[in-house]
Amino acid sequence: MKIAVAGKGGSGKTTVSGTIARELARAGHSVLALDADTNPMLGISLGVGPEETYRMLAVRQGTDAMPEHEHTVEGMIEAFGTDAPDGVRLVIALREAHVDPG
Amino acid sequence: MAAGAAKPYPQFWGTVGMRPARRRPGVVADVDWPPGERPLRVVVVGKGGAGKSVIAGTMARLLARRGRRVLALDTDTMPGLALSLGIEAPATPPLVDAVDKAPHGCWRLKKGVGPVRAVQRFSTLAPDGVRVLEVGDHPTIDVKSVTPSVQAFYQVIHGLPEAKALQAWTMVGDHPAGPRQTVHDWAPYADTLLIVAEPTWKSALTARRLAEIARHRDAAVIVVGSKVRSAADVERLERMLGERVAATVPADDAVAGCDRLGVALIDHAPSSPAVRAIDGLVEGLVQGRLAQVATP
Repeated sequence: MKIAVAGKGGSGKTTVSGTIARELARAGHSVLALDADTNPMLGISLGVGPEETYRMLAVRQGTDAMPEHEHTVEGMIEAFGTDAPDGVRLVIALREAHVDPG
Repeated sequence: MAAGAAKPYPQFWGTVGMRPARRRPGVVADVDWPPGERPLRVVVVGKGGAGKSVIAGTMARLLARRGRRVLALDTDTMPGLALSLGIEAPATPPLVDAVDKAPHGCWRLKKGVGPVRAVQRFSTLAPDGVRVLEVGDHPTIDVKSVTPSVQAFYQVIHGLPEAKALQAWTMVGDHPAGPRQTVHDWAPYADTLLIVAEPTWKSALTARRLAEIARHRDAAVIVVGSKVRSAADVERLERMLGERVAATVPADDAVAGCDRLGVALIDHAPSSPAVRAIDGLVEGLVQGRLAQVATP
């Protein structure tokens, strides 16, 4: 299944997404958790911890000398991802590339 | 941080067909203002739900009550600032009538419409005499319909630092959640960046990143603790952030109450702890005595 979670800031999107991902993984599913927020905080709700969450965000922004582009989906999951508890793979999917708001 | 950190996000200006104006202090710096009378130029940033709009809207109203001419700027296409100021959000993006299409395909302000004219013609009047300029809502699910307003707004705000006619005006901006607009310089008028953060990790990490981004521009950076329940909450937030919290707004049921009713906090609960704290924040800004985030 493919699920997208949306809503206003602070309403609980990330907490709901992270918990759904963990629960599905515990039920035996292979789970890819995609953080498509320009302010990616899903790592906190998945339980990877604040320092790793912050490191992932820097990796995706290419601000710490890591390659900024990957050409394959597998490469992106590897380069811009990290392992979360229960076997969930977290991938930071979006970067700030457009000046328009929203 | 990697080499080249002085300009970490260089490639984004193409989408609006222009580059931001070269940074200088703007016309506010041309006057030797008496103590406590310098017009504030503030933008409020932070994680979603941290309380940005409530703080920005209430600050704008309180500053207007202190006799200042106040321009409130809402660059969120999901406008919350209007509610916090006590007015209805506009039905259509106000600046759609201010633009035409440039040969390169981007929207630009019509001939004869500069930043000052745009503020005069297209801003809305809120209680206490606050003028509000809003980027506007998506009228439909079609994002294209708000693009002309967005691009015009970007040009307007980049004209504000040098707008002589608005030299004595205080400006209070409200950014959408997250770091995006701060990265893309959506508040060139601001000499002060107020980072609003709750004592939670998500909020603190967002604030930490905003403080990092803010170091690439010459604005004072001030952290405001929001929804704070105790002194321990402030200590916790400072530990998470690695920065000093300069002012706090307490957790206050009045804020939740006015959000449920869709009314402005300052009208709904004018003597609530949150409004009193925001008034203290305003006083600290006016007197220039709030601690700034340490720059490396």
